[in-house]
Amino acid sequence: MRGAWAAACLVALLAALTGCAVQTPRLLAAPPADLPPRVELTATPFFPQEDYQCGPAALATALSAAGIPTRPDALVDRVFLPGRQGSLQIEMLVGARGRGAVATRIPGTLEALMRETNDGNPVVVLQNLGLSWAPSWHYAVVIGYDLDAAHFVLRSGPLERQQLAFSTFEHTWDRSGRWAFVVTPPGALPTTASEAEVTRALVAFEHNAPPAAAARAYRSALARWPDNLTLAMGLGNTLYAQGETSGAAAVFRDAAQRHDDAAAYNNLAIVLLEQGRRDEARRAAQRAVSLGGPFQAQAADTLKRVDE
Amino acid sequence: MNIIKRLFSVVLAICFANGVVIQTAQAALVSTEQVARLATTDESAHQRLNEMFSRADVQAELERLGLSADLAKERIAALTDAEAAALAQQIDDAPAGGIIGAILLVFFVLLITDILGFTKVFPFTRSVK
Repeated sequence: MRGAWAAACLVALLAALTGCAVQTPRLLAAPPADLPPRVELTATPFFPQEDYQCGPAALATALSAAGIPTRPDALVDRVFLPGRQGSLQIEMLVGARGRGAVATRIPGTLEALMRETNDGNPVVVLQNLGLSWAPSWHYAVVIGYDLDAAHFVLRSGPLERQQLAFSTFEHTWDRSGRWAFVVTPPGALPTTASEAEVTRALVAFEHNAPPAAAARAYRSALARWPDNLTLAMGLGNTLYAQGETSGAAAVFRDAAQRHDDAAAYNNLAIVLLEQGRRDEARRAAQRAVSLGGPFQAQAADTLKRVDE
Repeated sequence: MNIIKRLFSVVLAICFANGVVIQTAQAALVSTEQVARLATTDESAHQRLNEMFSRADVQAELERLGLSADLAKERIAALTDAEAAALAQQIDDAPAGGIIGAILLVFFVLLITDILGFTKVFPFTRSVK
């Protein structure tokens, strides 16, 4: 009787589970024409996972592949919570930045994973290897795929070369909210990442990075999205932080004119004042004040300083 | 854990309540983060997180998690404002990596779901496609 119950539960459970691998059939039916049938980043280093430390192992793999040689034990202090036997997602991103790399979330599509590996970027993914109600979280690194065999190739835990069927991978990834990120040296950008994600990644990167590295990263992103105000402000601020006042002034002026934005005018005024161009600084500060908005108080202070 | 959770919610509430009042009013550059955020609600999240992590009861909880107070502060300093605020939710709710909670699973259920390709807990299973 109990056996029959268990079997019934299992059947119901399996019925509930099927049907969530939605991308795999579509992908196999019409694979992107511009992607090669198979990719494998064989040069990606492998760090066999110790204990529960898949987070440090996966991050060290991605960092080393991005040209920042790192061993997992150097990351344990940063991205591992012994009491939880695991690593928080935010700390994985922070850990990458702590080693001087940019960590950018990429879209949760199988195609994005393929495109990134094809571009030479291994992708760190969070999987739930268990079930939604009994999770078994795991970080791994996607290093390639094979369209004919319909599998991904991963560096995963103790496995140097795990071949995971597209549909199995999609199930385990779907349960983590399709969380994935790519680690790049500043100045390189993952091609699949959205403007919003790149901007978020770079603002976070600026937080701890040397200004020169942050400026390099902002400049490359601004080349792709020249109309992004945040990226322009980031470039201006990081140039200024390096003492490159004329470069910063040019960036702020361009941003101010392009967006007619109070923050850009305010920063332009400060840089101009420092260059001794008081009249131009006053005009910029006045414009910042008249535009109003959330930075009005800051702009008013700037104007006061110009007139001192 | 409950203490941390409760503290975080109190801290968050205070942040949201005070965020509008706390303003850096100096002639200074508008930071990239300010531009990115625009809605400045959690400017002092860092400071408050730090204060909170200095409390003895919180430190005891951190020790239990295996994290020293100094390291916790370093980790907080590395967060952006938005992340500091998000950490509150994350620390309890977010999935931590590593194969945790696996003991909760009924072994044979996972074995079968592994084989069918819905899960991948056991390295020795081969899924039927």
